[in-house]
Amino acid sequence: MIPFRKAMDRWLGRGEASITTPPMDGAFRPNDRLDAAGAILETPAPDGLAITSQGLIVSSGRSLLRVDKGTSTPVASFDAEITALTGLPDGGAAVGLNDGRIIFVGGQYDGRTIAANARASCITALAPAMDGALILANGSATNGPAEWRRDLMEKNASGSVWRLEPSSGLATQLAGKLAYPNGLIEEGAAIVVSQSWRAALTRIAPGDGGRGVAVLENLPAYPGRLSRGADNVTWLALFAPRSQLVEFVLSEDRYRRRMISEIEADHWVAPCLRAGRSPLEPTQQGGVRQLGVLKPWSPNRSYGLVARLDGAYRPTMSLHSRANGRRHGVTSCLSFGGRLYFCAKGDGIVASCADEGSTP
Amino acid sequence: MNAQELSKPALLEMRKVGKDYRGVAALKDIDFDLRLGEVHAILGENGAGKSTLVKILSGAVAPTRGEIRVEGQPVQIASPALARRYGIAMVYQETSLVPTMSVAQNLYLGDEKFFNRLRGAYIEAQQFLQSLNFPVDPTAIVQSLGTAKRQMVEIARAVRLKAKVIIFDEPTATLTPEEKHHLFALIDRLRKSEVSIIFISHALEEALDISDRITVLRDGAHIITGDARTFSRETIIRHMVGRSLSDELYGRATDGRKLRRAGETVLSVQNLSMQNVVRNTSFTIFAGQVTGVFGLVGSGRTETARIIAGVVKRDFFHGGDVRFQGKSVRYRTPREAVGDGIVYVTDDRKGDGFFETMSIAENIYLGQISGRNSRGFVASMSETRALAANWTNKLAIKALDGDSRVIELSGGNQQKVVIAKALVQKPKLIIFDEPTRGVDVGAIAEIHHLIATLADEGLAVIVISSYLPEILSVSDRILVSRQGRIVEELSPDEATSEAVMFAAVY
Repeated sequence: MIPFRKAMDRWLGRGEASITTPPMDGAFRPNDRLDAAGAILETPAPDGLAITSQGLIVSSGRSLLRVDKGTSTPVASFDAEITALTGLPDGGAAVGLNDGRIIFVGGQYDGRTIAANARASCITALAPAMDGALILANGSATNGPAEWRRDLMEKNASGSVWRLEPSSGLATQLAGKLAYPNGLIEEGAAIVVSQSWRAALTRIAPGDGGRGVAVLENLPAYPGRLSRGADNVTWLALFAPRSQLVEFVLSEDRYRRRMISEIEADHWVAPCLRAGRSPLEPTQQGGVRQLGVLKPWSPNRSYGLVARLDGAYRPTMSLHSRANGRRHGVTSCLSFGGRLYFCAKGDGIVASCADEGSTP
Repeated sequence: MNAQELSKPALLEMRKVGKDYRGVAALKDIDFDLRLGEVHAILGENGAGKSTLVKILSGAVAPTRGEIRVEGQPVQIASPALARRYGIAMVYQETSLVPTMSVAQNLYLGDEKFFNRLRGAYIEAQQFLQSLNFPVDPTAIVQSLGTAKRQMVEIARAVRLKAKVIIFDEPTATLTPEEKHHLFALIDRLRKSEVSIIFISHALEEALDISDRITVLRDGAHIITGDARTFSRETIIRHMVGRSLSDELYGRATDGRKLRRAGETVLSVQNLSMQNVVRNTSFTIFAGQVTGVFGLVGSGRTETARIIAGVVKRDFFHGGDVRFQGKSVRYRTPREAVGDGIVYVTDDRKGDGFFETMSIAENIYLGQISGRNSRGFVASMSETRALAANWTNKLAIKALDGDSRVIELSGGNQQKVVIAKALVQKPKLIIFDEPTRGVDVGAIAEIHHLIATLADEGLAVIVISSYLPEILSVSDRILVSRQGRIVEELSPDEATSEAVMFAAVY
């Protein structure tokens, strides 16, 4: 009966086969707060943020930069793109590279390199564990971090979360079959992971066999990096919007396969960190003014969104850069010294605004 | 308006016309005049008195006081037949045609000869429709026609009856843009042939586009009449909502009360669609909060609520998704929704809310047994009475005892019975549709207090109302519905009457 029902639902486009996206209302009610935030650095593709003994550092391409009063100072550079960054309790930082290597900068393991693990070479996020270990999110078993759109379009769920001993380099898998884990945060003995393609946050606790329990589901955008703020607040960067158009394409297997094989990835009907740069894009991001606000007339492929979550991971407020905004593709955010910093990778901007706390 | 138009004689005049319902003034001594060959828009919120005014003109309702003059002569429009004799015809939003008859039969309805030659009637109707440039087949059965064509038949009937005044009540609510274009072209033609038009619409753009003069009513009183060119959308809205009495009665939402913060997501409506009434609408409802849904009549609010509660069904193909407590649901009957914890307090309490010949106790008990976990048809009299006593006491329902029949109660107490019937089902989400419509002022305050209490107890509460002060006073969060979808979300401290109305009509 259930397979028959599923087949009927798929044919009729209802139930789990509904092509729908959650509304941006309540805590996700749109505003222009990301655009109102002051830019502190313009650099190509800023991706990760971390607090170290040197202060706030940001990863941009192959470089690590220290951000201070509107200027940036190079901290380190590497021979591959940086794909993940985290600050460590000892004041250092851990950097994940595109080829799967992990390199420590500063702190007790300064200069140490852990070789790529063939089973975890798509490093999308890093987080320190309380016992000194490093938690690692491996986005995909088949695609690299730069190929995240391909991973979405292939509807993969091959990601995993690993625990890594910095001293020995020993890696232990904590959970698998995750749909692009892209953000991590430690919560006592458990870990909360953002699964981008499931648009959900999942808690993975020891002893649950890596299955995990959803703590927040049905997000209106694809969740990325997580960071802890004051008062048990969690900040979540959501790097691209979900849209009915993309959900529809995801449900059309033959179309998707042909699109992947025949069209350049930049021109797929897929989310991106910044849309509207090429006339060859499938949907042009224009807008119409409604109620004094510019709204898109075609589905948004890029957007800027940061959410503030309470102790139970319920969204309490959010900051947006809308269709006409210039802070799209926010890949990470961090609260530090009473300010919220974020990287709008799509627009190459690091910006900050006051961390005003929750607004109902 | 040029001097020539100003000099046109008044075809229809109303002087100090008022209408009272049980001592309450629905229309307060209105002065109104309609000139020859003009299009005159009447605008106002729901309950402003527009419908009462045109019902008086069309003979459906008798005025309590005042004088009506047609071509300078005082007249008593005691019935719709008399209105037709005076040349006044009304084109309703929901057309008054007989759906099973042909177009020609409808055109000549009430004007049949002793022997009717069907073929002759068809030929005559064809010629007549062609003269109006209406592309309608006279042999077509009315129920097979689209809304626009039905409206054409209705208009043709009015013209055939040599109507000098045609009243359009929300003519564009269900029309496509193309159909609206045709309708406006027709109204223009009628104007040129010196037919006077009264045009009622919630779409201010249309009123500004098509009318020569605009009259705004508010709370049953005449506010302003002027040349349409002197109005803008903003000035019309200000005239429509600038009430003072209502503000005194309801106060503002943020005055002296703390807004509740959102709890867990209880309901997520995603891209819900039902024909062209609910159009790809999405919103979320949270526990422990009152979410007010404001919209003008026809904005799809009630239909959306009825889909959620299983009263009507969404589109069969790609009708969207409703997630209740994280689970995708699709109710075939209200009983299933009630079983899950969703109850809907209807806006039509007499039609759908209670059984008027049954007692209070029986009605509340019916609510109890409608849940999925009930014992079905086995009714316990002692349980019924205990239940009635409990809820009569809890909601302060004023009645002699639980055995009183609901029909004998006042509107406010009837509404409380309907609410008790809903609450007895122990809901997690309760939807109030126009909870204080036809309810006295004292009961309004009690019902508002009850709504607040339910939210304080952690229930997710939706209040649908077309009365703006009510929405502003009870809501922790306001959603605005327009043309079948939620178009705006406002918090009560930023929701001014103008902002909400602007979102609802623009």
